[in-house]
Amino acid sequence: MAGRWMNFGMYRAEGVPGRDALAAGVERMVTGIASPADTDRGIAARLRYLTASHAGYQAMERAGINVTRRTLHAWLAEERSPTPANRAKLDDAYWDLRRHNVAADLKRRLMSQGGTRIEIDPVDQSRVERRHRRDLQVRHLNVRPRIWDAAVNAWLEEDESTLDAIWDDLIHDLGSDYDSYSYVSSIGWNA
Amino acid sequence: MGGELEGVEALLAEARRAAAMPDPAERLRLRQAAGLSRPQVAGAVGVEPQTVANWETGRTEPAPPARGKYLRLLEGLAEIHPTPKEPRPATDEPAPRAAADLPRQPVPPAAPQHPAESPAARAARAGHERHQERRRTTSADHTREELGQLVTGAVHEELTKAGGDAESAMDKLAKRAIPDVMRLFAATRKTARYEYTAYPALPDILRKPRKDAPDLIWEARPSWRHPGHRRHPDGDLHVTALDANAAYLSAMKTWLPIGRLEHSATGEHDKKRSGVHLITPPPWHHPELPSPLGDREEAGPLWITEATLRLLLRLAGPKHRLLDPPVIHESWTSSATENFLDALRQILATVRANALASGDDVTAHYVKAMYSKFVSTMGESHNNRDITRPDWMHIVRAQAFANLWGRAFKAHQAGLTVISAMGTDELHLAGDWHTVFTEGRGLSEMKVKTDRDGVPVHYTVARSSR
Repeated sequence: MAGRWMNFGMYRAEGVPGRDALAAGVERMVTGIASPADTDRGIAARLRYLTASHAGYQAMERAGINVTRRTLHAWLAEERSPTPANRAKLDDAYWDLRRHNVAADLKRRLMSQGGTRIEIDPVDQSRVERRHRRDLQVRHLNVRPRIWDAAVNAWLEEDESTLDAIWDDLIHDLGSDYDSYSYVSSIGWNA
Repeated sequence: MGGELEGVEALLAEARRAAAMPDPAERLRLRQAAGLSRPQVAGAVGVEPQTVANWETGRTEPAPPARGKYLRLLEGLAEIHPTPKEPRPATDEPAPRAAADLPRQPVPPAAPQHPAESPAARAARAGHERHQERRRTTSADHTREELGQLVTGAVHEELTKAGGDAESAMDKLAKRAIPDVMRLFAATRKTARYEYTAYPALPDILRKPRKDAPDLIWEARPSWRHPGHRRHPDGDLHVTALDANAAYLSAMKTWLPIGRLEHSATGEHDKKRSGVHLITPPPWHHPELPSPLGDREEAGPLWITEATLRLLLRLAGPKHRLLDPPVIHESWTSSATENFLDALRQILATVRANALASGDDVTAHYVKAMYSKFVSTMGESHNNRDITRPDWMHIVRAQAFANLWGRAFKAHQAGLTVISAMGTDELHLAGDWHTVFTEGRGLSEMKVKTDRDGVPVHYTVARSSR
């Protein structure tokens, strides 16, 4: 992580690392089943999604769902309903698979039209004493397709160090005070 | 017989006047020379003020039935204020301004013994007037006109594509309303002083717990009926249901926070800032008026927006003293301006007024889609990812409700009985509402609500026995 924020938060600035804000922004673009996993409707929809493909069964395996075929059929037929522990696992498996499935679409949305322009909201310094404040503005950056490609891949693999490297690389374009943006309060874009 | 001949004579007189119709600049000069305002002329002639403005800029030409009255007015004004064809005597007025403004171009002194102006002097005068005319239209006017043409251009484009089929053009326009209004908004911000934040970090109170669940902000939507009256066919009070026009468009003029909201717990209201506030509302002791907090059933603290807070503070102020000032516990605010969406509002309002004056339903419909969708999607919406400002959305809506409350209060003060105030724009009044509001479709006017079959909504109420 770049920057002269040696001890971030020492003077009560508030923010999150840029990599986290970037990942959260990609995460916000993911949509899926709206019903929560603790409702019958939500569980039925998740089961239907997960049992529709081979990748779905693999996702369930990765999430640690070890049930017999018989149990799975009983869940699908809604004769029995999963235990709370299994519901949580089903939810994890669903979102895992969903992220993999929508990644290509997210990339397309972010990369078409030559990339996407992002808005960077600097850290919140309202509680910082005036003499310790930095002069920070809202900044905009054009993020190019190859960077989005790498960023979405890193987000998918939850690879924090790559995301961090990508963010450091990006904010170099902001000029001499780039390292003030290694922490931000939020990032947004339209894609 | 005589009546018919009179009609013919009148037509002939109108035709004679139409043949000698003054050019647009002269129309403007005559009105200004007489010191008349556009609404005055418009009222006398029976058109919208914007139409008179269009006649005076030459955008449109007067057409019957208003043409006759307008020409008669111009004819009369021309007799009172004749065209200054000849230079006025020096004793009458100070020297023409041309001499002062254009020192390098010598203007021959207008001596009374030389009634005819020389060609050079005439050229100087014309040049001066053109120059003044150009200076009067500022670059802001130009920008506004250009942006207005973005809207009319889109309508023209879709109508051409649809081959003149208004229905399908309207559908297409409704679909592109959100990206179009965002483009228009961005264009109005091009030369603006403040850079706003489109994707700020939001405090938790502005986050929806789920996609389909609301956040904590109370917008003070009214849904109120007078408790002392009930609807009755033999009632003695006659009620008219009124609608405010384009309520959300008017509400765009409101104090909006520019940047990210910051927390404070000082409990004081800063007039230069705007946002959302945690208050304990004062009790409301006026059963004949809706509460400015809307139909809230819960007592106790709640989060309200800037628009509602300003209304409460105004009503608690020395002018009204209708309630106690609210107790402010916490605030999330940012430095604010009231003119943030004003450029956009003005453009849309002008296009809307022009469309209504010329009976252009397609444009009016499109403008409505633009401002209403702009307000409804500026929070978190998958249909509009250009901006995520739920605080603005709440404030604009709350402003619309506050405006409606203001109208109810105005009617109440004028002696009318407010029977009901509902939703964004609905106001039911007993008594002669024409004494308070003008009827029409302008932003400051009210129109009579019509039911599904287009019949105006009137009913009677009786005092309930309590």
